[in-house]
Amino acid sequence: MRTRKLAMLLLLPVLALVVAACGSSNKSNTSTGGAGTAAAKTDCTAQVAVEAPITGPVAQLGGEQLHFAQLAADEDNAANGTKITIVQGDTQLEPKQATTVTRQFVSNNKIVAIVGPAGSQEVSAIGSAITRAGLPAISGSATNTDLTQKGSFPTFFRVVARDDVQGPQDANYIANTLKPKKVMLVDDQTSYSTGLADAIIPVLKGKGIAVDRESVNQKQTDFSTLASKVDAQTSVVILPWQVAANAQQFGQNLAEQNKKAVIFGTDGLFSPDQFKIPGSYVSAFGPDITGIASDADIVQKAKSKFGSFGTFGPPVYAAMHVVDEAISSVCKAGQTPSRSNVLAAIKKTDQPESILGQPIKFDAKGDLVGAKFFQFKLDAKGKYQLVTGS
Amino acid sequence: MHFFLQQVVNGLTTGSLYALIALGYSMVYGVLKLLNFAHGDLYMLGAFVGYFVLQWFGGADGLSIPVPLVLLFMFTAAAFSMGGLGMAIERFAYRPLRDAPRIAPLITALGVSFFLENAVLLLFGAQTRIYNTPEFISFKTGIHIGAFSIDIVRIMVIVLSLALMFALREIVNRTTLGKSMRAVAIDREAAEMLGINVDRTIALTFFLGSALAGIAGVMAGLVFNQVYNLIGFVAGLKAFTAAVVGGIGSLPGAVLGGLLIGLAESFAAGYISSTYQNLIVFGVLIVVMLVRPSGLLGHAKIEKV
Repeated sequence: MRTRKLAMLLLLPVLALVVAACGSSNKSNTSTGGAGTAAAKTDCTAQVAVEAPITGPVAQLGGEQLHFAQLAADEDNAANGTKITIVQGDTQLEPKQATTVTRQFVSNNKIVAIVGPAGSQEVSAIGSAITRAGLPAISGSATNTDLTQKGSFPTFFRVVARDDVQGPQDANYIANTLKPKKVMLVDDQTSYSTGLADAIIPVLKGKGIAVDRESVNQKQTDFSTLASKVDAQTSVVILPWQVAANAQQFGQNLAEQNKKAVIFGTDGLFSPDQFKIPGSYVSAFGPDITGIASDADIVQKAKSKFGSFGTFGPPVYAAMHVVDEAISSVCKAGQTPSRSNVLAAIKKTDQPESILGQPIKFDAKGDLVGAKFFQFKLDAKGKYQLVTGS
Repeated sequence: MHFFLQQVVNGLTTGSLYALIALGYSMVYGVLKLLNFAHGDLYMLGAFVGYFVLQWFGGADGLSIPVPLVLLFMFTAAAFSMGGLGMAIERFAYRPLRDAPRIAPLITALGVSFFLENAVLLLFGAQTRIYNTPEFISFKTGIHIGAFSIDIVRIMVIVLSLALMFALREIVNRTTLGKSMRAVAIDREAAEMLGINVDRTIALTFFLGSALAGIAGVMAGLVFNQVYNLIGFVAGLKAFTAAVVGGIGSLPGAVLGGLLIGLAESFAAGYISSTYQNLIVFGVLIVVMLVRPSGLLGHAKIEKV
């Protein structure tokens, strides 16, 4: 207890700095976004809040999400003649920070919808606030099953698949495409990991594949013992992990001991910078849109504007696009955009195609109809290539 | 059979690292009766120093000088900087409290540990640094017989650790410094009366222990690749356990304890279950402590430094 208090005490100044930094950024953003709402009906003016981890440890991811939201808003404004502006909310992937930011948005009546937040834990934190305010929110990366399964957040939507889709889908891919006789599955003792493991194993066993279930602490950095347990029959090692550097180390331990088994990682390992063992597989909740022909135009624009990007931006583009279209349809019906009519329009969303390469339509719980995960294979240089399987 | 040998190699590698860190714990405990909880963080910082030296010479995939030379620089830089830091910590954090009740320096040690961990977080950020050893030392070098393989890095870690342990034993047993250390350990006041410079002896003890931790940090970086600000905590805890099991204050005990824990971990995960690895290891240790409360070599005061 004493040690924890001491740690908190030492962390306080750091926290204070961080809070001060984002407090000021929020303020400036709201003031710039507040222009021109008077002629709402004729102009179709509305504000949409984007909640993303713009600063902090995963700032790169948040920046990508913000960029794609901005790109969608610009394009849709041009196409629909709307005047939709974005208000930035920096959540730092922290539930506490998301709550603070959301409180500001809820009290700002000009904001008709939220795009985001990024993390499932953040959605849990702001769920009751947006429900009370009737404020719709569409996330491009929150995949936790319970968020929609329980039905407690009726104004929450997402354009990505749920975690309970990932496990069985990955298992089927492994069984049907990689066709192993025996696999090793190592969980990292977190709820994310054991949950996925429990979903994957029954499917594999049902197909007659032998499973050696192992488990390792997320803090451990030596996997040579586990690597030596990979026997000659084992051709796939499934790692439902979140720390990409650990998987990289596991892969190196396998190579060190001359093992031929390939690694199959879940979306937590999707990290082209840190996990690059050639021949491995990784699944992801977002597609690599650079491989989708109809997205060539958007890819071109995004690359010229912000440089390279991964799988976090495109789903946010899709989410922003849903909101933009909803606002536009409200205006076309001769109404002023408000939270309730935008929410109703979002529920009616039915886009036959999207940036994600699939139709966008929500079921009664706010989940994407027909949502799926995407599998990538790492080529000889460790570059991620989208593969299609069953 | 190869599986057994593989586990022995894996166990010896981690065991050597635990032993090197445990030596520092044991030496400091010997002279000051202080549990220096910041010791694991010197191991972490040593790993960082090694990483930065590696980057300085072009990084894993673009080294500008031969590999053995880089390794030499990495090890010496880590050893001397951590040795110096260890002396500084002793001078400013522990010496003023030398005559205070035992609990005071213990809390200070925890504080120093948090200070180091968070200072690194502030200075270098939270992201994991990767040595990427296979880029400059190929797995193909080393011993490969059928399914059994030891790469050169592991061989180096085991051999270098044993050499350092031997050197330390020689220093403690044969040099004047070693004699002073043993004297301070037995009775500080008496040693002072006999003209031994106690402050200097303690400072040098810290230097030696911390340098070993720094070297262990570089080794960990080379074998396990990942370096971030919290790696010292778990390693420090395991090494502390090793020191206690071996008999704290006893140097051969620290080595024995370290190797024992490394091997126990490796065999527990290899033959029983990786899920219950720590449970099994610590279960064994509890049994050892029940049978020999002062540690495996603790009671025999042959070499109480």
